[in-house]
Amino acid sequence: MPSNPAKLRVIWLQGITCNGNTHSFLNDPSLGTLLDSIELLHHPLLPCAKTLKELVKKLPKSDILIFEGAYSPSFERAGMAMESLLMTLALKTKHIISMGSCASFGGIFKENDPEHISGIVFDKENDSGPLRDMRKKVITLSGCPAHPKWLSFVIEMIKANKPILVDEYRRPRELYAYLVHNGCLRNEYFEWKVDSDHFGTKEGCLFYAQGCQGPFTHGSCNKILWNEVSSKTRSGTPCVGCTEPTFPKRDLFTTKTYMSIPSEMPLGIPKRSYLALAGAAKSFHIKRLEERLIDDHT
Amino acid sequence: MITHELIERIEGEAVLDFQTDKSGVVQDAAIRFLHFRGMEAILEGRNALDALVIAPRVCGICGHSHLIAAARMIENAYIDAGFSLTISPKAHAIREITLSCELIQNHIKWLYLVMLHESGKLLAEEPPVALKALYVTSQINQLCALFSGQWPHSSYAIPGGVTCDPTHIEVMQALKILSEVERFVEDEVLGCHAEVFRNHIRDDSLLSLGGDFGKLLRNFERLRLLDTGKSHGRFLVLGESGGSITNSVQSTADIALVSEDCSHTFAEGGVTYAKNALYNGEFYEGGPLARALVSKRDGISTLYQRHGDTALTRITARIEEMVTLIAHVRSLVSSLDLSQPSFIPPSSIESISGEGIGIVEAPRGSLIHRARIERGKIVEYSIITPTQWNLGNGTASNLGIAQKAMIGAESIAKASLIFRTFDVCSVCTTH
Repeated sequence: MPSNPAKLRVIWLQGITCNGNTHSFLNDPSLGTLLDSIELLHHPLLPCAKTLKELVKKLPKSDILIFEGAYSPSFERAGMAMESLLMTLALKTKHIISMGSCASFGGIFKENDPEHISGIVFDKENDSGPLRDMRKKVITLSGCPAHPKWLSFVIEMIKANKPILVDEYRRPRELYAYLVHNGCLRNEYFEWKVDSDHFGTKEGCLFYAQGCQGPFTHGSCNKILWNEVSSKTRSGTPCVGCTEPTFPKRDLFTTKTYMSIPSEMPLGIPKRSYLALAGAAKSFHIKRLEERLIDDHT
Repeated sequence: MITHELIERIEGEAVLDFQTDKSGVVQDAAIRFLHFRGMEAILEGRNALDALVIAPRVCGICGHSHLIAAARMIENAYIDAGFSLTISPKAHAIREITLSCELIQNHIKWLYLVMLHESGKLLAEEPPVALKALYVTSQINQLCALFSGQWPHSSYAIPGGVTCDPTHIEVMQALKILSEVERFVEDEVLGCHAEVFRNHIRDDSLLSLGGDFGKLLRNFERLRLLDTGKSHGRFLVLGESGGSITNSVQSTADIALVSEDCSHTFAEGGVTYAKNALYNGEFYEGGPLARALVSKRDGISTLYQRHGDTALTRITARIEEMVTLIAHVRSLVSSLDLSQPSFIPPSSIESISGEGIGIVEAPRGSLIHRARIERGKIVEYSIITPTQWNLGNGTASNLGIAQKAMIGAESIAKASLIFRTFDVCSVCTTH
């Protein structure tokens, strides 16, 4: 059967990776509809037109190049160094999607060789990656991993020929203008400064002691839920800030405090304003919020 | 003749160096893994709890196993440091539920994305559509996420329990998803009820099964591969049940006899990043077949007695484990006592100086995380992944598990398919 020329030709290429974004992508419940509308020239796991060996032999043109994993110039796929493999495929494509935090900023694997490992456009916060001059055709989907629906959203937008509004790291603003904090079920505890005594309860905010980075991490995790049903904070796990160039920070399960106030403020909130509001909120001791949400399970 | 074969579609890539005779029969095979990320070094110097975030990133398909291994490692360090630590039966059960979900989705992806695809390709048949299977794996991962918040890369298991505090809403949703998964497995994978499948194992009549699993076995029969792939017949299970090996007789395994051999690695002038994992100086096979034999599950044990550690037995063991785990998850979810605590706070991590070891039966076999912790900080971290057991490189007199299984194959293509019956994971192997 001849392939439909209208279908977007997509190459999924991996750098230094754990395959987490690949498996995250496979979780998209409407994967079939998406795959029907594109032609996969290469993918590491899904049936596709070319094996890696064939891809490297004749680096084809494409409409979208999805890059997963961190970049290192000497890292090889099928015997070809990324320096030429990524660069050639990037020059021959119309759009590039930086899939996940490794591809976007260097991520976790950068830690082992900070000098040589980076993202494709950004190296942490600096735009010194190998594709910096092509940044205009790059869309960043940071996250460890990135959500499958973030990716299908970007592909659909490209297909519909609609412009995607991006932030300073070229992340779609419609996805990353939100904070992970937005939509968190524990928001009321945050408002009234009720902290969580410890893990494993429905009550209390994880920002004060457990290290939650939700109030200053960009991401729609609590708007577009994970696996359709949950998120880190909804399962009582603090946000680890995985969409930001600073990921991974250290001491991820503890809130750094200064005079018992979290040292990192919710995004854009001056410390003075925070303190004024927090002091007032804390003084009220709202009984409902200090009790268990559901008395018992019987 | 020596041929270098790039093996793809295995969670990364491997290179197999085959030595073949004039008729193409495989005389020798070496397995090379060329990518390395330095996960252990990344973990060292960090707060021990950070391992709950970093360790899952060893692997995109079995990261949850790495999470549980890291959590158990830290818990073990608490005990080693003389502190007490309690995990409620509920938290135990929830961890087992989510871990089992990871194994189930792994086995389904292996069946559809790897085995049916590659065996079909060798028979010059159109690759099967795997979408129906991927929908079901997305459902199983959803079941996992009801408790773990997300899959992949959750950090919800922490020393002292789990972070979630589920309600009956999650429990009922989980049971509903399980029904869907059970229906898929019976209608599509097995082509019959789970009990009928077990009868077919006992009667040695699996080839008559109608589902996609039966199709895979028939592909293997057409390729004359069903009775190939025999290895040493030595099996090792270190996690869950406490550790057992079975050779011709079963005995208790001692973790002190586990060692890593770097002699083939680049660091020692070799050709791969992968270290061999050895038990008492020898290669042992881990994974679903080992687990079925060690726990003496009657169907697989009977099949093994008849056919040995052939491709037939190894493939069936993985499918049978999936069926067993689905029933196990159902019973765990159904009997969750939500009134128990999810988390019992232990002493602060900063008070812990000690050594910890955490072992998990991951999709491909025994996974070991070991670390030395000083005042809550990781001083030393060491990971042994399941594929290091199965895919090691030995010498002519002491061949690795998959190596031995491939030697004698009629062609390189057939040897590569036998290699895949072990469910290869490149990213884990070299972490």
